[in-house]
Amino acid sequence: MSLFETMGLPNSLTRRRFLATGAAAGTAAAFSPWGAHAAPSLSGVTLNLMVIQPHVVGGRIVADGFEKATGAKVNVIAVPNDQILEKVTLDVQSGANVYDVVDYWYGLLGAFAHDGMIVDVTDRIAKEIDGGAFLQSLYDPYTLFDGKRWGLPYDGDSHVLFYNTEIFGRHGLKAPTTWDEYLTAAKTITEAEKGNGIFGAAILGRKEPFQIGCGYANRLCGFGGEFLDKSGKPLLDSDASLAAAQAFLDVAPYAFPTPLETGYEQGLPAFLSGKAAMMEFWTDLGVNAQDPKVSQVVDKWDVTQIPVGGSNTKHRASLDAGFGLAISAGSKNPDAAWELVKYGCSAPVNLAQMITPGTGIDPVYKSTLESEEYRKVAPKVQAAAQQSLNGALVWPNGAQAAKMLQGLADQLALILDKSKTPEKAMKDTQAMWVELLGG
Amino acid sequence: MADNAVVDDVIRDPPRALISGSRPVIWLLVAPLVIGLAIFAVYPFIDILALSFSKSSLGRPFQKWPLLTNYLSLARDETFRATLIRTALFAIPVPLIETALGFAIALLLHMHLRGAGWIRGLVLLPLMTPPMMVATAWKLILAPSGGLLDGVLLRSGAIGQPISFLGTMPWAFLSVAIADIWQWTPFVAILSYAALQGMPEDIVEAARVDGASPSRILWHITLPMLAPTLLAILLLRVVIAFKLFDLVYGLTFGGPGFDTTVAAFQVWRTALTQFDIGLGAAQTIVFAILVSVVILPLTWLHRFSEARAG
Amino acid sequence: MIGTAERTKRQKGWLAAYCAAALVVAFFLLPIVFLVSVSFKSPDEALSGHFLPSRPTLDNWRNTFQIIPLGQYLFNSLTVAVFSGLLTVALAFPATYAMVRLKIGGRFLPAFTLATYVAPPVVALIPLFLLLRRVGLLNTLTGLVVVNGLGNLPVAFWLLSGFIRRLPIEIDEAAWLDGAGHMTVVWRIIAPMMAPGLAATALICGILAFDEFLLASSFSNDPSTRTLPVAIALFQGERLVNFGQMAVASITGIIPVYLIALFAQRWLVGGLTVGGVK
Repeated sequence: MSLFETMGLPNSLTRRRFLATGAAAGTAAAFSPWGAHAAPSLSGVTLNLMVIQPHVVGGRIVADGFEKATGAKVNVIAVPNDQILEKVTLDVQSGANVYDVVDYWYGLLGAFAHDGMIVDVTDRIAKEIDGGAFLQSLYDPYTLFDGKRWGLPYDGDSHVLFYNTEIFGRHGLKAPTTWDEYLTAAKTITEAEKGNGIFGAAILGRKEPFQIGCGYANRLCGFGGEFLDKSGKPLLDSDASLAAAQAFLDVAPYAFPTPLETGYEQGLPAFLSGKAAMMEFWTDLGVNAQDPKVSQVVDKWDVTQIPVGGSNTKHRASLDAGFGLAISAGSKNPDAAWELVKYGCSAPVNLAQMITPGTGIDPVYKSTLESEEYRKVAPKVQAAAQQSLNGALVWPNGAQAAKMLQGLADQLALILDKSKTPEKAMKDTQAMWVELLGG
Repeated sequence: MADNAVVDDVIRDPPRALISGSRPVIWLLVAPLVIGLAIFAVYPFIDILALSFSKSSLGRPFQKWPLLTNYLSLARDETFRATLIRTALFAIPVPLIETALGFAIALLLHMHLRGAGWIRGLVLLPLMTPPMMVATAWKLILAPSGGLLDGVLLRSGAIGQPISFLGTMPWAFLSVAIADIWQWTPFVAILSYAALQGMPEDIVEAARVDGASPSRILWHITLPMLAPTLLAILLLRVVIAFKLFDLVYGLTFGGPGFDTTVAAFQVWRTALTQFDIGLGAAQTIVFAILVSVVILPLTWLHRFSEARAG
Repeated sequence: MIGTAERTKRQKGWLAAYCAAALVVAFFLLPIVFLVSVSFKSPDEALSGHFLPSRPTLDNWRNTFQIIPLGQYLFNSLTVAVFSGLLTVALAFPATYAMVRLKIGGRFLPAFTLATYVAPPVVALIPLFLLLRRVGLLNTLTGLVVVNGLGNLPVAFWLLSGFIRRLPIEIDEAAWLDGAGHMTVVWRIIAPMMAPGLAATALICGILAFDEFLLASSFSNDPSTRTLPVAIALFQGERLVNFGQMAVASITGIIPVYLIALFAQRWLVGGLTVGGVK
């Protein structure tokens, strides 16, 4: 019986052409969430798994698999992206205590932990989990706050740069490796083809941290910058920071109209219909790009690592978004909830979701990132995603992170609509962050 | 006499004996409303007031009691001031337009056109549409690349470049206004139509027989008689417009920059994306005071018009 | 006898009126018809800049009902709308009568009632959430009915007071002279006369409850109690938004409500007329 079957994962996955029994058996011992033991029997137990709306498909894979493996019943409850903290807080504070396991954005880790919304699992991890198996670039940022650990990594989001090979071919362009090359490519394409409604790049400028913030973060990452230094002080007035803001502004005139009102729902169709030649996005865009039901660029795209810039030459991952699973402080059955967390964050489950379209789940393990199965399904994306092995740009995740990131998003929007120069905007953001961090 | 059909504010007091004798019954009439308001309005209000004086986050309310800090920071906050002005700039003109348009439509319907019943029904559709869908539909129409309007304009050659209706000013503000007008004019239209139907026919007939032109009838008879109703509808619309949220959230998300950030959106941002409930509460209180002040003249006007129409 | 000139002027008048009516209808219908068109578009066509789909598909209509329990959401929304509309009017009507006719509460109570409607309910979310939790009404349709029912009290008060004022005081006085108590006057005499006005107010409040988004999305977690506007907004939360499915969900939501309103609307206009003495 394959590992997937022992773990209760759907059989259809094992029939996929790329799953060699040998590989599956080889991974079993290393990645079973319960080590060498059998799955715990939890029949009669009901658990509520709260996930964000885009994670519903993945959530069901986790739920169904866990149910088959342990006999417990798992309800998947979807909440909108921007209501995670609100829902969990209301749930715990009011005593409703509906959620057992929550799917949290790592940027909110500090807020969750500081406000007592999730459970400290440091001891549990120490006893049962090999933290070293996770991608080290994200393990601490996703789970460590105030010296303790609060959850396990679930979805290792980072952005990669997608580009349309057909359009690039028309202009003799190669995949950009620096932000300057990116700008040149965008300019060339837009100037030549905007009459046909085709533009060099799609910039997601909607004023939310997950949209405009990612664009900026990718550039900051490329320029080798950081949001905070090792002691936690903001670095938004550094050279890398300013260069990133400037690069962001530079590409705006050549971007798919218009960055400020382009959110996922405009940007994605733009790339998928061939109207935008480049787009930075999470790796699951690759899966969508090959789906003829939504994409007109099947086999006409490729993906590369986030460009570098300035004096930096190391391609790192920008940890844009990214989620972990934690036990809700209101859970009535924390032990069972912990089993679900371990299961959902285990390597086989991570892999199963990575290779299924529509889950949006990205690798959190070195092993799944480099696995053969992943390569067979998404070879291009896998190559680009290797950037996370070089290190990563981590977003703030302290108690004030939400405010800081929203403030940054506001200032970035002011840059894009030319109300402020990049220097002034970054300076103002820096001042705001310093004040929020009590510095 | 037709005049008695319209009772104004200065009404003869009910006989004292009746009132004092059945006091418990009278309170019973009012009690459910009072209790309802106490639960839904008073209790949250006290909570909000308290929060406004405190330092509170969503997860940890009432951490400290710095009293006036939130209010002081609001006083210094330029964007908040701009938001208040912006909200007023939306919440007064747009309902005015809606009232005028709605009344005009009501007049149209009143004219016994063939198919008026159907038109009445169709006119209700915008009101039936969930606001998120109103926003999405208009977004699909107004998107710069791939939107319907730009598509049509570009193909007809009217413009060379797509116009960003939602990402540049003044278009963004206008777009929100138009979507709002689309959504709420039917509200006015239906209510004014009903008011028109309720007008006593004899006066209008008499005037027509006397040879008065339709426009004279409209301006000198119909409008004055309906003034109280129209003002009442306007007032209600203004209060609702001050609380605009759904369209901004769905269409422009407050942008470009802060150019369409209205008060309710600002409060939502502060309270639910930055989790600073204390500040959000203070914003709510300041905003409520502002709105009350602004609509005061409207309520006087309304009361005045009711007295006159008597 | 109308002269030819006069008749032509009249005809021009009618023509103008019909043109105006056509424009009005077109303006109000455009987004809705566009929505219908979008519901037949495949995901890559929604933002194509064209009105009609180039490759119309029934996929969205087939899939949406399978993907989400649309019927359940619609049922929830309708239930909340109907019952909260009724609740609002039931609570507001007697009180409005007392405030308007009997001057209970003087100037203060009416002003206070209106004042409670002025502030955006965002921050009130939290105390209300806690309250609902304490009485066990979280995640229930009843809870939403109560919240919307109470929240729209000021609107009902405002609309109803307009209608009540138009009834001649003679009616009340006649009843009082006959020895009728207040309850009788309110429920047996005034209410029937105001039936259309009551219906209109209930309809408006019901519509407001149907459209309500912010509170509904916070007070129910579960698909079994989710309302339609919240469900539609969840589509928006996906990264690759399927506008076609969103359109299907919306149209499915609009149609039944529209039919109900069309039916109820006869009361609305038939007689927001004062049922009183002319």
